[in-house]
Amino acid sequence: MSHPTTPGATTPDDPHGIRASADNPGVLLVVFACVLGLALANIGISIQIGPTKFTLPLQLAIGSVQAGLVAYYFMHLRQGDKVVILTALSSLFWMGILFVLFMGDYMTRHLVVSS
Amino acid sequence: MSASTHSPVLKHHFEDLGQQHACERLGIWMFLATEILFFGGIFGAYTVYRLWYPHEFVFASSHLNRLFATINTVFLITSSLTITLAIRSAKLGDRAALIRYLLITAALATAFMVVKGFEYAEDFHEHLVPGPSFSHEIEKEAVDKGLDPGKVQLFLCFYYIMTGIHGIHIIVGIGCILWLVWEAWRGTIPPENYSTVEVVSLYWHLVDAIWLFLMPLLYLAGAGYGAHH
Repeated sequence: MSHPTTPGATTPDDPHGIRASADNPGVLLVVFACVLGLALANIGISIQIGPTKFTLPLQLAIGSVQAGLVAYYFMHLRQGDKVVILTALSSLFWMGILFVLFMGDYMTRHLVVSS
Repeated sequence: MSASTHSPVLKHHFEDLGQQHACERLGIWMFLATEILFFGGIFGAYTVYRLWYPHEFVFASSHLNRLFATINTVFLITSSLTITLAIRSAKLGDRAALIRYLLITAALATAFMVVKGFEYAEDFHEHLVPGPSFSHEIEKEAVDKGLDPGKVQLFLCFYYIMTGIHGIHIIVGIGCILWLVWEAWRGTIPPENYSTVEVVSLYWHLVDAIWLFLMPLLYLAGAGYGAHH
C-alpha cells in the first residue's frame, strides 16, 4: 500500500510527500460549486416537472452524480489505493445484490398469487 | 528501515507512515461499506413501499417543508468542502487554519441540526405525525383524493426513521469533529498525522452523500405536486 502522493514529490522539507499531496483549493471550490449547483438544479427541476414517472430516476441520477463527485474528489478516491477503491466499489456491489434479492421477492409476489 | 520510522506519530507495528495512512484509510472505508449497507437496507424498504404506494408517498411528501431541507442541503455540502480544506491545512501544517475549518464544519453541522429541530417542531405543530394525533385535515384531503391515509402515514414513518438515523450520524460527526479540534489545539495533529482528520472527514462525507439521496426520496418526491394535481 503506497502513500497517495506523486512519485518523486518528496523533498528534504517534506520527506513523506505529505505537503505535496495537499489538495488544490481551486479544484475543491469547482467541485463544491458543481455539487451545490446540481442540488439546486435537482430541486428546481423537480418542482418544474412535478411527480411524473421520470422524476424519481432523474432525481436519483443527479444524486448519484453528486455522490460520485463527493467520493472522487472530497473522499480522495482519485488518489486512493486500489484496495480502497475496491472496498468502496464492493459496498455498491453488495448493495446491488441486496436490492436484486429483495426486489425479486417483493416485486413478483403478485405474479405468484395470481397464478 | 526508512526515515519515516523516526516519526513520533508512527505506530510500532507499521513499517512506515505511508503504510500506516493506507491502513487507516482502508479501515474507515471498510466501516463506511457497512454503513452503506445499513442505509441500503432502509433505502430498500423505502423503494418497495414507494413502488407499491406511489401516490400516497408523493402526496405525503408534498406536505414536508422543502425550504428547511434546501437550507440543510447547502449547510451539508458546504461542510464537506470545509472539512476537506481542514485536511489540506493539516497536510500543510497550518494549525490555525485546521482549527478554523474544523470549527466552521462543526458550526454548519450544528446549524443543520438546529434547522432540523425547527422542521420537526413545525411537523409536530401541524400534526404531521403518524398515529392517533395525525392531522384530520390531511387525512380528509387524502380521502378526498382517493388515497389511503394509513399509507400516507407510512411515508411519514420512513421520513422520521430515515432523517432520525441520519441526524444521529450528524451528532456523532459533530462529536468527532470537536474531538479533532481539541487534538489540533493540543498540537497532536502535525502534517504526519493528517490521516486522523481524513478518517473523520471520510465519515462526514458519507453522511453528506446519504443526505444527497434522502433529499430527493423524502422532500422532492412531492415537489410540484399542487401545481400538477
